[in-house]
Parts: sequence; C-alpha cells; structure tokens
Amino acid sequence: MTGLVSKQISLAEAAASVPDGATVALGGLSMNSAPMAFVRELVRADKRDLTLVTIVAGMCVDWLAAAGCASRVVAGLVSLEGFGLAPHFRHAAQSGKVKMEEYSEHLLICRLQAQARRLPFMPTVAGLGTDVPALHTASGALRVETDAVTGRPYVACTPLAVDVAVVHTHEADVAGNARVNPKLIWMDSEIVNAADRTIVTTERIAEGASFSAEPHRTTYPRFMVDAVCEAPRGAFPTSCFPDYGHHSGFFEDYLAACGSPADFADFFERRVVGPATWADFLAANGVQPAGGDGGEISS
Amino acid sequence: MSTGPPAVTGYDCTLDELMVVTFSRAMSNDTRAFNGAVSFIPVCGYGLARRTHAPDLVWAASSIAVDADPETIGSSTLSDELWGGATMLANSPFDFWTYAQGARYNTFAFRGAQMDACGNVNNSVIGPYESPKVRLPGGGGMADLGCMIPRIYLWSTTHNPRTFVERLDFRSGMGWGDGGDHRASLGMPGGPRLCITNLCVFDFEPASKRMRLASLHPGVSVDDVQAASGFDVLLPAGEVPATARPSAEELRILRTEVDPTGARLREF
Repeated sequence: MTGLVSKQISLAEAAASVPDGATVALGGLSMNSAPMAFVRELVRADKRDLTLVTIVAGMCVDWLAAAGCASRVVAGLVSLEGFGLAPHFRHAAQSGKVKMEEYSEHLLICRLQAQARRLPFMPTVAGLGTDVPALHTASGALRVETDAVTGRPYVACTPLAVDVAVVHTHEADVAGNARVNPKLIWMDSEIVNAADRTIVTTERIAEGASFSAEPHRTTYPRFMVDAVCEAPRGAFPTSCFPDYGHHSGFFEDYLAACGSPADFADFFERRVVGPATWADFLAANGVQPAGGDGGEISS
Repeated sequence: MSTGPPAVTGYDCTLDELMVVTFSRAMSNDTRAFNGAVSFIPVCGYGLARRTHAPDLVWAASSIAVDADPETIGSSTLSDELWGGATMLANSPFDFWTYAQGARYNTFAFRGAQMDACGNVNNSVIGPYESPKVRLPGGGGMADLGCMIPRIYLWSTTHNPRTFVERLDFRSGMGWGDGGDHRASLGMPGGPRLCITNLCVFDFEPASKRMRLASLHPGVSVDDVQAASGFDVLLPAGEVPATARPSAEELRILRTEVDPTGARLREF
C-alpha cells in the first residue's frame, strides 16, 4: 500500500508552508545534495527570522544569509569548501545579523538523535577537551558529565527540536515514499528523524509500485514524509551523486560576484532569485534538468 | 594558484611534494584513514603510501568511499569526484561515526587557522568569540574526531606566528589538550603524532606533549622555525636532521598516478 492521498506540492507551496521564525533543518553535506531548489523558494518568499540547522553546509546557508532570511545558524561547519569561506554567512555572523550556534558534527547528530528517540540526552565523547561544549552550558543544550559507574567523562547532548526537515532524494512517489539511490550517504536521516515535519525534494516522481518492487532500496517511508516536491537537478549547484557533480562554474561565478554589492545584487537576481520557475533557474545557469533516465549529466 | 610552491633546494622536488612524501612515509600498512574538507596533502599522502610501502592502507575518500582509487583529485576533498573505484560507500551516521568512535578508523589529519604547541586547532573564530574579527567555517568534525581517533596528524602550509600560536582564540579541535596526561585523563586514545609544515616537521615531546622539532626542510634553520612560531619550539637532543629526501620513484608516482593534475597545489 502506498497511500491514497497525494503529498505532492509545488516548491513554492512547500516554502509557503514554513512560517517565519521556524527552525528548518537542511540536508546534504557541504558540496553535496543540499535541497537547493527548496532553499531558493525560501529566498523568493522572503522568509524572515529562520533558524537553520545544518550539520555541514555551504551555499544553502549563504543564499539565506544573503537574503536576510536567517537569524540563527545551528551548524558544525559552514564554508564553500575548496572554493573558500561562505562570504554572506561570514559577514552576517561577524556583524551579528546571524547568530552562529556552533557545534561539532557529532554533537549535533547526538542532539538530533536524542530528539528523534525522545531521550533526555545522547552521550558522546565528541567535543571533550575543546571549547565547544562550554558554548552551550548556559543554555543547557550540552552538559559535560562523568559516568558514575565507570568514571568516564562524556558530553550529554539534549534534544534539538526541529520544525521541518528538507532533504533531497533521487526518487519519490506521491505518497511520500522516497529513496536516495544508490543509498543514503550523508546525515540526512538524522534531521528527518528529529523533525516534526519533513519535506522531500526529488529528482523524479516515481510510481508507487516501484517502491514495493524494490522495498530494500527505500530510504524514507511515507509516514515520515509530509510533502513531496519534484525538482529535477534540484541540488544544483551542489551534487546529487551519481547523477551529477557539484557545479564548479556556479561557485566560481558566485564568489567572483561577491567582490562588490552591486555585482552580487545583479548576480543574485539574474542567477538565483529572479527566474520564475526552477526550470527557468536552471536555464539561467546554462544547465539542463535531469532526464527521466537518471543518466549522467556533465557539468 | 599564483606561482606555486617553491623548489626544495637540492631535492629535485617542490615543497608540496616534500610535504606529501613526508606525510606518506608516516603512514603504515595498518593505517585506516579517512579525510575531511580541504585535505589535499593528506589525500595525496594516503594515495602515495598505498602505492609504495603500505599496500593494505585503508582510505575512505571524503569519509565515505572506502578504498576509493580516483584517477585524479578534483577541486574538493569532500566531493564524489574522489569516489572512483570504491568498494563501499559508507553511510555517515550508521557506518562512519561508528567506525570513528570505535577507532576502527585509526588515522585522521586536520589543520586549523590557528594551531598551538600541543596540537590543538582553531577553525572557528579569530578574535573574541562573541564579536569575532573573522568568522571561520567552524570545527566541523575535528572537535569530534580529535577526541576519537588515536593517530592524529597535523599539517600546515602557512607556518607563521599567526597560525602557530601559544594560545588559540578558540579550541575547535582536540590534540593533546593542555598537554601532559590531559588527553589520557579524558579517556581519549593516542593523540597527535606529527605536524608537517612548509618549514619543518614537528613531533611531540613525550612528557609535555608540546611540539618538538623533528626535522628541518632543506634551507630552513632552527631560528627560522622559531621566528615563524608563536611559542617556544622544543629541540631534540643533538643535531636536528634534514627532512628525508623523496625518492625518484615516490615523486614519479605522486606526479603521474596519485595527483597528475596537481590538486595539492590548492593548499598553497
């Protein structure tokens, strides 16, 4: 059974379902599999005061920082990796427009796991001896404790509530079954499991029967997914392995435009925000949407 | 990428090559490694070690692709560009973090915008935490993996007093902590072994766990290293040796097989 009610909505409808002030967790890792088509709609909808939860992120956070959509970023790392620092995130964090709530990857994963499993905390040795746990002692989010039996120290990571998780996938049916193909690689399941609501963006809408034909390949079952948006090449300019790699040209053009506010405003309008649809966006960036065969797309 | 790293006097190679070969030689046949962001020197080092003295070395490209053997190294060390030839794509939460916490992976290399004498690193902020002069990317996995992995290697292509400081503005990643037995007292395995820089190689003095000069690259003096370091550099007993010369075979393999497109130059 794949469910009778269609959960397929447009990217714009998905963005509209996120209220200002919400805590939004974005999937992917660095240059890989970020739900960029959805993030673009958040920017176009002019969201305000969002808290972003991203374990390791880059371009998605920089777009939202550039557009003034985010007031808080809960993350382990934000950069454009080999291309450099994420300039709008960096300036917003330095000027105080965005509050960076810094964790390490595993401390954040443990907070999400505690939330997902409804536990008072998850223990880890991650962050011991560093300055990271002390950033979160006052809020009570992290506690450095010693196990009474073994005497071993650990960090108790308390639950992190997430309003909505957004992850990119290769295929989904309209009931919400979704798969990452060949398999889930990044930490997206942690945000999905923690979130009250999950929006899946997907390269291709697939028949429900394709999930029952290969149930061992399903990544998220329909009861974990609240909305499905079709977005071919929806992770652009990040990658969606193995369909396409990250688009180096976009990263280079983006950073080049960051040299002056006027250049950036022009670039952001022409190449990111302005195009009316996702297809128009891809055209504005000189790339084709993925075909139905999931074949290799050169960047 | 400007003019690229300088030639190493008398060694028929450039600085990037000397650093990669030195890193490679520090690896062994039981090395089980993975890599993080912007880690071109270690990635080249794993590939070279596996093709020379350490055929059984395990390397998970981007911490994901076990036994990957890419034809070239691209613009990112966290990219699927590196995954060619892999025998397994490991899932991050279930596979990777379990292997890391259990020290099934035993080797990790990281660098920071600031590094201190005990091998701790800062990749979070320069200046006061709440009003930083520079907001850096954040520690990412280094705060985790520094606590979990027994064999830690550090490297830097910017050996100067801004990078090598007595006191970090923020400790994002754990090396030997406060030194002495601090790390062991927290129940952490092993610790940093070497720090390979563009000037020299440091090891860590066993009692204090502070950086100690292990070898000097050709043309670099002890005074040069001290002047480039914001902390007192410990010296070994006797003469400081020169960093060992790469063999012609190592250089050939690095240049033609491991990194034919020179991705390692992205770190310079």
